[in-house]
Amino acid sequence: MDLRAPLQLQSMIKSMSDVVLPAIDPDNSLAQEQAQLVLGMMHLMASRLPMQFSYDIDQLTRYVSLAREILAHGEGGQRTKEELALLNTSVDNGAQALQGAQTSPADLEAAVLTLRARISALIETLWSDGEPTCRETISKAVLAASKEQILRERAWFAPQGWDADMSNYPSIESLIDYKKVASESDT
Amino acid sequence: MDKNRPSEQWLSSLRERFPCEPEVDRFLSRKLNNRAGPGYTPVPLEALCAGIEKLLDSKLNTAFEIDAARWLTGGASKLQMAFDLKWHPHDAESVTTPMVLRMQPAESIVESSRLREFQLINAFQDHVPVPSVYWVDDEGEYLPYPALIYGLVDGVTKPKTGVGGEVSGMGTNYGARLRSLLAPQFVDYLARIHTHNWREANLSAFEVPTLGTLAAERQLNWWARVAAEDALADIPLLTLAAQWLRAELPTLDRISIVHGDYRCGNFLFNEQSGEITAWLDWELGHLGDRHEDLAWCTARTWGHRDENGGAELICGLMREEDFLHAYEQASGLSVNQQTLRYYKVLNTWKLSVMSLFTSYRAPAGGKTHQDVLVAWCLGVGAKFTEQLGEILEEVI
Repeated sequence: MDLRAPLQLQSMIKSMSDVVLPAIDPDNSLAQEQAQLVLGMMHLMASRLPMQFSYDIDQLTRYVSLAREILAHGEGGQRTKEELALLNTSVDNGAQALQGAQTSPADLEAAVLTLRARISALIETLWSDGEPTCRETISKAVLAASKEQILRERAWFAPQGWDADMSNYPSIESLIDYKKVASESDT
Repeated sequence: MDKNRPSEQWLSSLRERFPCEPEVDRFLSRKLNNRAGPGYTPVPLEALCAGIEKLLDSKLNTAFEIDAARWLTGGASKLQMAFDLKWHPHDAESVTTPMVLRMQPAESIVESSRLREFQLINAFQDHVPVPSVYWVDDEGEYLPYPALIYGLVDGVTKPKTGVGGEVSGMGTNYGARLRSLLAPQFVDYLARIHTHNWREANLSAFEVPTLGTLAAERQLNWWARVAAEDALADIPLLTLAAQWLRAELPTLDRISIVHGDYRCGNFLFNEQSGEITAWLDWELGHLGDRHEDLAWCTARTWGHRDENGGAELICGLMREEDFLHAYEQASGLSVNQQTLRYYKVLNTWKLSVMSLFTSYRAPAGGKTHQDVLVAWCLGVGAKFTEQLGEILEEVI
């Protein structure tokens, strides 16, 4: 799936700058102002979206650190003790989330693209240099895996309206429940 | 390998790996040679009119005037501007001819040759309804990018009113009345294109394939090269399809002109009379195998079910078996089911390459006049790969 947010934003910014804004009535100040704000918001998203993961990690790290400091010094009556206990649980959860967030979205995307390209390169090599006997098995495996991936892509792009009826397709939410997918692949 | 800054060495390796027709090689190489350069910058109507003036100054000996320039929409590939030309064709009295400028952007969802398009439209004057084609600026000598100028033809590509029933997102539902009027013409014009005596036409920008597997191989190489040039990363299913296509090349039994994009949406018609007034979009045309057009227009993508939800109508016009039978009758040419199936795989793979690879690369480089539309087309790629997977499951 290569229609990711950065490309969507880039193409929308170009459309707004090159086509839409120049066509807005210069006397319609409200439309002029809001179009400029839309463009500004898109520029902000385009520049900050790639850093959002790092930003959240930084935020969480600092809040965990601050919370630990408070926990170390916080003392008081029953209500304070209860709040400290709740905060302690939140700190544990936050620390666990930090521990799990070792791979950035950019790393994930790069790994996907690398695997896509490497599998493709191997298929090409097998068809010129590999054992003919393995081709049928590999073809079937590629077709079966593609079917699942395509189902997910079809559901992802359903809101674009390429089909009059998508009711036979599962929802995208049910197809990309990553915790479920991970537990299924473990078993 | 940075595909946005292609090296000479990489371009040479692509040309060696995927031998194409000389003209195809020329425009694909031009695309890569320009890729590291600037993206598409908006060209105002005034600048286009100035470019047309320069072009016509070099072609006409008499006075002319360009008037009423305005943008046309439609299609994801080329930029189009309508205008009126007051001129003296063949030194005759002054006439006003409505014209269309068709210009490619810096890169396009379909990279192609304006010269080939010009020659093909010319080849069918008086044989098939096509626009009158006047001038071509093949190298972008006068206009910002390569362009051609043809006459504006009246007509619509789809009914404006009054059609019910399920409409596919891609197909066109003409309704029963128009369907019965359009379907026979749809068959007849395809038969005329495929049986046209191409040897008498000036088709200097086309390679004549030999009878054998060369025609299919040239198509395969063209789009395999586009895939290599444009993909962010290859996709295993598409690579598998390409291997199958190379292993199963069909033999060409007769050389025909192939339109390359013969389907609903690419012809204009008069909504009242149901008469087809022009066949458009010849940019994918070439000399090759008629089965390629037959497979293209029978693709599920362009069709829909009839009003009762029953039969699948190809291009919203008729059932596939009826279409193929009528085509054989009209053309006197046979349909080989195995060759038809081959081209169904090739065409669906080709559509996947355009929608998943070029629809990424062109807007990522800011290369078109409507990046937002081209990027939007990335979403239809899964529909094509879904069909590709289904056809491949039948043949592998």
